[in-house]
Amino acid sequence: MALITYIEPSGQSVSVEVADGWSLMQGATAGGVDGILGECGGSCACATCHCYVDPTRMAELPPPGEAELAMLEAVAAERRPNSRLACQLKASAALAGLVLRLPDVQE
Amino acid sequence: MFVFDPYSPAIDADPFPAYQTLRDEFPCFWSPQAGTWVLSRYADIVSAGQDWQTYSSARGNLMTELPNRAGATLGTTDPPRHDRLRGLVQHAFMKRNLESLADPIRDIARTAAMALAGRGEFDFIGEFSSKFTVRVLFAALGLPMGDEQAVRDQAVLMVQSDPLTRAKAPQHIAAYQWMQDYAAGVIAERRARPQNDLISHFSMAEIDGDRLDEREVLLTTTTLIMAGIESLGGFMSMFALNLADHREARERVVADPSLLPDAVEESLRFNTSAQRFRRCLQRDVHLHGQTMRAGDFVCLAYGSGNRDDRQFPDPDTYDITRKPRGHLGFGGGVHACLGTAIARLSVKIAFDEFHRVVPAYRRADAPLQWMPSSTFRSPLRLGLSVQ
Repeated sequence: MALITYIEPSGQSVSVEVADGWSLMQGATAGGVDGILGECGGSCACATCHCYVDPTRMAELPPPGEAELAMLEAVAAERRPNSRLACQLKASAALAGLVLRLPDVQE
Repeated sequence: MFVFDPYSPAIDADPFPAYQTLRDEFPCFWSPQAGTWVLSRYADIVSAGQDWQTYSSARGNLMTELPNRAGATLGTTDPPRHDRLRGLVQHAFMKRNLESLADPIRDIARTAAMALAGRGEFDFIGEFSSKFTVRVLFAALGLPMGDEQAVRDQAVLMVQSDPLTRAKAPQHIAAYQWMQDYAAGVIAERRARPQNDLISHFSMAEIDGDRLDEREVLLTTTTLIMAGIESLGGFMSMFALNLADHREARERVVADPSLLPDAVEESLRFNTSAQRFRRCLQRDVHLHGQTMRAGDFVCLAYGSGNRDDRQFPDPDTYDITRKPRGHLGFGGGVHACLGTAIARLSVKIAFDEFHRVVPAYRRADAPLQWMPSSTFRSPLRLGLSVQ
């Protein structure tokens, strides 16, 4: 389990306990967080789970793979150095307390 | 003693009471009839779907697998091979690359709907959804027209299973063989005269400098045709059934078609046609007091996870305002359905056009006859009375 904090586009902050092995996209959609869609279901095919990771913790995350890098080129909101796709980030105790900020638009 | 037999006609007709027993009393259940463990709770299915290293697809994903198919399709390979195969075909199915299909899909829907004008009663499947889906697939893949009815009939037959032998019957295997021969013909044609389309690219693609295995090209193409017709058609018939049974929901989407996407998502949750898929364990797993052994098969009952009140409040109510994000109607994780975007686009356009011609309808016959299938669930015929 990892407690993940999602900051919705409205500024509202929502914290969700995400089970080990679940993606942070699944944690958000199952937890009712606004500002994330995950239209493709987690197969890295739609870029609608775009999030901005707390910049101070970027280095702790496994780097994006080829498929994620390709999809990041297609995000609807501004792509920044701390942009990631939440479907490609898996929860574990190491990520406890991570803060993800969600963009205004996903499609 | 509680029995869960996914080959039983009673489960084809209504699996939901059995799912509730599974979730509440036997969340990790061995079904001797299916020869699989059954996971039925939302959280367990999501976890398994994420963990492909443990829950492998390489020995097949259909509850009753077709011979010689496992290992050669997207749904029956694991990463990293799966990801590379998917990378070759995914581009064609991404939302932004489907925009050019919206107008042809609308023309197909309008033509199919107009043929129903003035009718008092008709079979939604035979006279609308099957005509629509096969033409959409042919347009999307650039297939030559002329064989539509045969392709549709074989696609529907190949996904079925025999309730008595709990296996594929000879007619199901013959349909599968027919579809492979049909796909082989299309592949040969594209290789001889390449076009700028999915099958041309895929049939000549390479992974890391190696040409794809011939079986991968053939069976992936066969599966795309099967899914494009049977899965899309099966879901459309379930959506029509829900709107026929829930008058108020139908009246709302007819009055305001911008509500159709929400109604589609709720139908994907409420009674998706893709009810159950299968994985094979790569290590022993202890869950809910049971030990599942490496090599055992495990059924992920998506249709049950979608009715789990641990995730969805009041799950047996069909509520188009629910916006059920995270539902399992398309599965989830690396194997989530490739066709989510084209399915959503096609269904929305199809019902928009259908409702212009047939805005009010109800079920003409009850009970329904259900397709015999351990994996999918949809009626064989859906008679509708126009009101």
